[in-house]
Amino acid sequence: MSSNDLMYRSGGGPAPAQLADVLERVLDKGIVIAGDIQINLLEIELLTVRLRLLIASADKAREMGIDWWEGDPFLAGRRHRRGLESRLKRLEQASGLTDGDGDDE
Amino acid sequence: MIESPAATAWYVYGIVAAGAAAHDEVRLIEQGGLAAVAREVPLAEFGEDSLPQRLNDREWLEASVLAHEGVLQAFVETGVVPLRFGAIYRDAREVERMLEARSAFFHSALSRLGGHVEIGVKGWLVAPGPPPRRAEATAAGGRAYLERRRDELAAARASADRVVDAVRNVHRQLFAVAVDGVVNRPQPKELTDRSDEMVLNAAYLVPVGDRTLVQTVLRVAAESAEAGIELEVTGPWPPYNFVPDDEEPDE
Repeated sequence: MSSNDLMYRSGGGPAPAQLADVLERVLDKGIVIAGDIQINLLEIELLTVRLRLLIASADKAREMGIDWWEGDPFLAGRRHRRGLESRLKRLEQASGLTDGDGDDE
Repeated sequence: MIESPAATAWYVYGIVAAGAAAHDEVRLIEQGGLAAVAREVPLAEFGEDSLPQRLNDREWLEASVLAHEGVLQAFVETGVVPLRFGAIYRDAREVERMLEARSAFFHSALSRLGGHVEIGVKGWLVAPGPPPRRAEATAAGGRAYLERRRDELAAARASADRVVDAVRNVHRQLFAVAVDGVVNRPQPKELTDRSDEMVLNAAYLVPVGDRTLVQTVLRVAAESAEAGIELEVTGPWPPYNFVPDDEEPDE
């Protein structure tokens, strides 16, 4: 990464670029364009495991009470609904992996 | 499977304004004032036959994701609309067609995101409250135990409330000095290299070169430290978190 000058940690030295940050952005954000070669998420066990970990964090957040933005009228519904969770659910339903109300685990 | 004679495909990383300076690894495929930042990739890696297997190869996936981000970093200051991983086209003509079909969408996205970068701000709970005291064997009966238990729960709730208030306050102050902001779910420990709990995972859109947000982080850091929260800034990133909602091609 070329411009790390902004990286900062209030508890001490510079923070390394975190792989999790890159995975989250490159695999879950950015514009989705279906190219000629389709990536079928269902065939991607590892990717799905990673995605599941990101989803699972929502429950953890709720458990800790750190889910305040979910109910924030300004933040809620802006772009979260089209995220991983709904996409995985759709894929799982389409494949018959869940009956539509199954838990993430 | 249809294979192109050259057995290669075009992987598109993002969209920039035509005329942007390319760099070594990538080619700019231009069409109507737009350019796709693309790289010719072997079908042996990115073809329909081999991709599913590759994507299950953790090292390959992580390297490819890092490469995706690395390519876009070169355009972070000139303005880029980042695509999600895996936009692959059989040939450059198909990329041109895609640009043409979504021309209005990409022009509008570029006019909003150009000249802006994304700054990530994470909050870590580094000083959790004291662990709840265990009920002692000498506890004076069930009533004393229940009272202590009630106090412990109340203390835990108060401590969680304090963290939420502090996190919300950090976001409010950063959002006020940013062009836009979004709060994502905290990443689980399995994905981070820290044992601390992540309590804030936010991203802010700021003008290129603008230090106001980082200065604000420095200002609120002392305050949030009192609530046991350490702040971490990452970036600048391409504006992954601020791409407009996807839409169908114009045609």
